[in-house]
Amino acid sequence: MAQASLTNPTDMRARLFGAGSFKYWSVAPLLIILVIFTALPIIQLLQMSVSELEFIEGELVSEFIGLGQLDNLAKDPIAGIAIKNTLVFVVAVVLIETFTGFALAVAISRTRTFSIVYRSVVIIPLLIPPVAIGTMWSLIYDYNYGLITTILIELGVQYLPLWTADPDLALISVIIVDVWHWTSFMFLIMLAGIESIPPSLLEAARVDGANEFRMIRHVILPMMAPTILVAMLLRTILAFKVFDQIFVLTSGGPGTATQVISMHIYKVFSEQFRLGYAAFLSLLVAAFMTVFVVFYFWASRVVRRRLG
Amino acid sequence: MNKRIGNFSRRDFLKAIGALSAGLAANPLLNSSIRTLAQDVMSQPPITILINDSPWFPGFAAMVELYTEITGNEINLDVTPFPGMLDKTRNATQAGESEYDAVAITEQNIPFFYKSGLLKPILEIDADYTLDENIISYGDAARWDSDLGVNGPNGTILGVPINGNIQLYYYRRDLFEEAGFEAPKTFDEMEAIAEHFANPPRMFGNANRANPIWWEFGAYIDSYDAEYVRLEDDGSWSVGFERPEGLEAVQRWLTLGRTWAPQNYADLGQADLLALMASGRLAQVHMVGAAAPNYDNPEISIVGGNMGATVVPGVTAEARSPRTGMWVMCHPDNLPDERAAAGLEFVKWLTTKDNQLAYAKAGAIPVRQDTYEELATDEVVGWWTSAFAESTPFLHPETRLPETPLIRDSVSTRMAQAYVDEISAEEAVSLMASEIRTVMEDAGYSVS
Repeated sequence: MAQASLTNPTDMRARLFGAGSFKYWSVAPLLIILVIFTALPIIQLLQMSVSELEFIEGELVSEFIGLGQLDNLAKDPIAGIAIKNTLVFVVAVVLIETFTGFALAVAISRTRTFSIVYRSVVIIPLLIPPVAIGTMWSLIYDYNYGLITTILIELGVQYLPLWTADPDLALISVIIVDVWHWTSFMFLIMLAGIESIPPSLLEAARVDGANEFRMIRHVILPMMAPTILVAMLLRTILAFKVFDQIFVLTSGGPGTATQVISMHIYKVFSEQFRLGYAAFLSLLVAAFMTVFVVFYFWASRVVRRRLG
Repeated sequence: MNKRIGNFSRRDFLKAIGALSAGLAANPLLNSSIRTLAQDVMSQPPITILINDSPWFPGFAAMVELYTEITGNEINLDVTPFPGMLDKTRNATQAGESEYDAVAITEQNIPFFYKSGLLKPILEIDADYTLDENIISYGDAARWDSDLGVNGPNGTILGVPINGNIQLYYYRRDLFEEAGFEAPKTFDEMEAIAEHFANPPRMFGNANRANPIWWEFGAYIDSYDAEYVRLEDDGSWSVGFERPEGLEAVQRWLTLGRTWAPQNYADLGQADLLALMASGRLAQVHMVGAAAPNYDNPEISIVGGNMGATVVPGVTAEARSPRTGMWVMCHPDNLPDERAAAGLEFVKWLTTKDNQLAYAKAGAIPVRQDTYEELATDEVVGWWTSAFAESTPFLHPETRLPETPLIRDSVSTRMAQAYVDEISAEEAVSLMASEIRTVMEDAGYSVS
């Protein structure tokens, strides 16, 4: 049967007003509300990002400056560092968490004894609020009283790592905490993916003599590709917005070692009171993420096609 | 009173009430004077105050309880963690009508709110109000000179100080006496003391707060006469880091902060310094005055009874320049007159001498010089209230301009980078100088 074309005006009219068009009209109110509530804040953000905003005599005074915020960006010594740190953080945590989440999901999906216990334990970190995680790990990392230091001293270790106080180690310390926190998220998605693979496929592979590695390489991974790609996309978006646990753990320090873009935007808005510039930075991040998501969908389609 | 008492347990609050009751019971004259004074307070409508969840909060809450008890006027408190105060205040002052009759504003947010016109001038609420001369000025924190765009003695009164937090220098009195040291007045003396006591990891000679740096470092830069920005006699502004003393101040901070400190010096916040001192592992420290009562709390400190406090040392004894970190109570401009008047009535009551004495007994930080002087001989709090009294002539608040947050951010960032050798001290000074100059020039100030 020929497909109705959206570019053909007759087909379009038939689709919108003909029999069966009710399904489109019934979602219209929700769609309109969604567009308004998504579009309005973005329009306001856009308006703020091309203005200098100030409270004068109780009134919010706005002055149009066009692309003037680009000047502020060029003069901002921290924005570049924050973007670089954010990218390093995102790439590291997404790759590590994908690998560990997948490995845990494979291992636990094969376990019959204590399976429920393992599943429950693994997801515990995901249930803890990030602020509590930041506080907990800052106590664990504490150089003078922390758990790790205490254990290392008991073991007679001479060199005690400074964790969050060492600029070369601080970002790694933050990444470790994030991996601890979010691996369970990846695990849950991966486990759901693995459990949705038809057992007959795995049985067939086993009958054909495939060992565990081959099963993973040639059956599980290709079947899981769409799930893994979606999990990585979600995790990338979330990791890009990391704020609370770093805020509690290091506040961006030492120096600028763990300064990330969300924290910088918070400082610009809440401590420097530069509403226009903060809006500009927020918009920049939103634009970057939108481009990334579009690119990601395109890339994942290519990958899926290659995997057949 | 509303029972929302923030991060403080009912026990903390009851302790403050207990301390206040014991203080009043031990001093019948004060008790009767407070009650007599309360007779002047008219019956007021219930009010709501936005107050921060700080270590001195239980003392404030105890005074609210006392006010309600003896005047019958009801007060609700919205107790909010420090990071949330700014947004709640901003939202309330910009609303059609503020939900709060009084808001506590920290010193660092004063320029934003004073300049914005979002607050009601105190004389519009009570035309007869005068700031008592015993209320410490804290660099004219109550007044805003809109012609100069900064706090000034001729400015409009927009708030009343309600917490007189400043920086103090703390030391282990027992160890100092044993070693024959006097409390230091200069950075050189501090270094000699740090050198003497340093015996890591059991004892550290000195440690500085690194997270963030700008507030405590202010006492160094001001002492070297190189404050971040200064209004000169000719009406122009100068940038302190452009003077040679700016580099000296940075180098002194780095030496004192790193040489005799724990290895994680770059990561030390206020809580870490308090923990090191309270656990007996630090000989001396320069930190917030409001921390003092913690050292006498046996639940968290093993050094109670062995602590001393004095004015933060300087490059010379005469140039000591402790910073202020106080709070003012203000009234949003979008309040009906009777609500603003009811809020101010409580603030006036709280800032009288007798009530400030009770305030200190309850564990809060008073704002009156006569209160500190009277408490200087008190057996329990005298060791730190005397240091507050002694510090008043040396107090050096930061220059509070609308652009101060940008200056502060440059200092915090560059100093933090220098602290961990991301950049050298010379580079940090040069970058701070150029960034602060740019901030001032972009804002239209004439910079000399």
